[in-house]
Amino acid sequence: MSGLFNISPIPASILVVGLPFVAFLIQALLGKKSISGIFSLAAIILSTLISGLFVFTDIWQKAPVSYTVDWFTIGNKTVTIGILLNNLTVLMQFIVCIIALPVHIYSKAYMKGDPGIHRYWMYLSLFCFAMLGLTVSKNLFMLYIFWELVGFASYLLIGFWFTKNTATEANKKAFLVNRIGDLGFLIGLSIIFSLFGTWDLLELFGDAGIFAQGIDKNTGLITAAGICFFIGAMAKSAQFPLHVWLPDAMEGPTAVSSLIHAATMVAAGVFLVSSIFPLFNDLVLLLIAIIGSITALSAAYFALCQYDIKKVLAFSTVSQLGYMMVAVGIGAWDAAIFHLATHAFFKCLLFLCAGAVIHEMAHHKEHSGQDFDPQDLRNMGGLRKYMPKTFVLMGMASMALAGFPLTSGYLSKDAIVISAFEWATHQGGLFIILPITLVFVSLLTAFYIGRLMFKAFFGTLRVPKNEQQHVDLHEAPRQMLIPMFFLGICCFFFVFSFNPFSYHQAGILEGFSVQYSFAEVHSLHLAIPTLLTLGTVLVWLVGWNWYVKNRYPLRSDSAFLIWGERQLGLNELYKKAFVDSTMSLTRFSYWWDRHIVDGTVNGAAYVARSISRAIDWIDRYIVDGLVNTIAGTTYYIGHLLRWVQNGRIQNYLGFAFTIILIGIVYLIFR
Amino acid sequence: MITLTHFLIVSACIFCIGLYAVLAKRNAIMILVGIELMINAAILNFVAFGKYDKLHYSGQVFALFAIVLAAAAVAVGLAIILNVYRHYKTINPDNITDLRD
Repeated sequence: MSGLFNISPIPASILVVGLPFVAFLIQALLGKKSISGIFSLAAIILSTLISGLFVFTDIWQKAPVSYTVDWFTIGNKTVTIGILLNNLTVLMQFIVCIIALPVHIYSKAYMKGDPGIHRYWMYLSLFCFAMLGLTVSKNLFMLYIFWELVGFASYLLIGFWFTKNTATEANKKAFLVNRIGDLGFLIGLSIIFSLFGTWDLLELFGDAGIFAQGIDKNTGLITAAGICFFIGAMAKSAQFPLHVWLPDAMEGPTAVSSLIHAATMVAAGVFLVSSIFPLFNDLVLLLIAIIGSITALSAAYFALCQYDIKKVLAFSTVSQLGYMMVAVGIGAWDAAIFHLATHAFFKCLLFLCAGAVIHEMAHHKEHSGQDFDPQDLRNMGGLRKYMPKTFVLMGMASMALAGFPLTSGYLSKDAIVISAFEWATHQGGLFIILPITLVFVSLLTAFYIGRLMFKAFFGTLRVPKNEQQHVDLHEAPRQMLIPMFFLGICCFFFVFSFNPFSYHQAGILEGFSVQYSFAEVHSLHLAIPTLLTLGTVLVWLVGWNWYVKNRYPLRSDSAFLIWGERQLGLNELYKKAFVDSTMSLTRFSYWWDRHIVDGTVNGAAYVARSISRAIDWIDRYIVDGLVNTIAGTTYYIGHLLRWVQNGRIQNYLGFAFTIILIGIVYLIFR
Repeated sequence: MITLTHFLIVSACIFCIGLYAVLAKRNAIMILVGIELMINAAILNFVAFGKYDKLHYSGQVFALFAIVLAAAAVAVGLAIILNVYRHYKTINPDNITDLRD
């Protein structure tokens, strides 16, 4: 880059963040008139180009750049905002851009004709803005703001079809569960600020930062802060106890599921723990590793038993996020980011393929006039014949997910599993359970994705054909296929490393060059990949036998399957424990309000009314009575004499003479 | 022999008749007649007591004055009654109560 076209990375990255926001504003202002999404699309194309040409290439493997401005001052503490560009942030920003671009293109075809499409583009741009802003935030507080914005945008997008009851339930659930994490994040922020008086990532975790100078990390407060931040990451990245929102979030449009719930938003948690990695002490790291492995195992088990094609993928996402958390927990956060990058591509592709399949199944449902769930795996089958390109692409993504050699997933997954083994060897003892769990989960992964492929694409279509025995399923439109092809290419090893078998040469890992706390064990680098690959092939053979050859050994009503499909009753447990108890609390509050508070008020009112009634009686009968008696007496006396003044002249005369007579009589008898 | 007391008694009787007529009659003319009777009772008293003034006959003189004045008063009274009648179309004093409050 030289000459006129050279933009320095800081303004370029601001541009990358700002363009989707501008698109969001334009889209919001234009409202219903703007259904083409051209602004959002243009913004994301420009963002991707700028991010790729001016930010990523300028910063990657070079010195970090940062830019800070003061925001506000409280007392003598100044809160800043700024842009931090280092290997991690530019990589993350670039990944978000490069995933968002195909999804935008795909959406243009996938969402065509939807009555709410103008909202869709608006929300999508808002999401991109928030996510891109999150990646380059220099300040933890700024990061938190974007973090919340991401959650809000995801809330809007999950509930995009808000007339569907399940969608509104799901977006409420996602939002509430994310609030728990946000609360953790907020507490973590407070602890950090009270300890160090700054939220600046460079000042805290940079090369010359507070943590690099070697402070005692084993204090209670730092442990608490680490756990709080991890809780924040747990909610966003759907770790075990808080993962429940992610499968439900599949109620949103598939393109959204692909962008948000597979590739970017859920990765925000992993990104957060990676960028504040120096904060964690051994205790918190162990906790992260344990939670991660529990997540990976439980989600893989749930994925085995789901029938909804998107839910299988959702649980697979949760499981892979568990992997990334384990990688962070063992200290290999570079491996976590590497897996995040590879996973973003192949999981995005899986979702887009699933979206294409659902699209066609829904069309088939409409044309044939039958009623079936277009997302249910039990209704699919034999789609390979009707949608060969989708089949090939999804097969490639599945292989990457399963970690088959020559794919990108093979490299990143091996990086995590091998590092975990090395870490366990270093630690010794019971820690070996953790990598073994990972290997087991890896086999489960291969099995459930194999099951999905076999059920959807092999055998024969399970829904009845229409009258003419004609199945009008066909390939997805070109506008959807092109982004899928692009992502398909990114599923292969050469995008990330030129050596297909050794993850050490991967560009991303070299870029971070993290010092591990454990030694490398060379024998593992041969044994583990071989073991995993053989296991994967074996598992696929079993799957082939079960699902394609119809030699299914399990009863469909076995407890193992039913509990898996019900996710071990976690949702019901949460409903009982949290929702119902909240409901009871509200009912009690209602009762309290109704009977105690209202009762007090009403009682006071009754007492006041009684007193006033008594006063009224006194006023009416004693005070008024007195006055009225006096007035009445006066009136009566007046009334007694008024007849004298009757205007009759003779009466007057009569009186006069009477008085004179009385006077005379008085004078006589005095 | 007719004494002064007889005169006074007759005069008192005439006065009382006049007074009754003034107080009780339902006709303004009769009231005027009652007034006339009362004046005449008073004139009779003047004349009766006039025997104690044999020098100047002031009793008789006052009686003549009183008679003339009474005639004038009657004329005025009749005129008032005529106007009252014109105004109220009645001369019954019970029906004329404009003096009341």
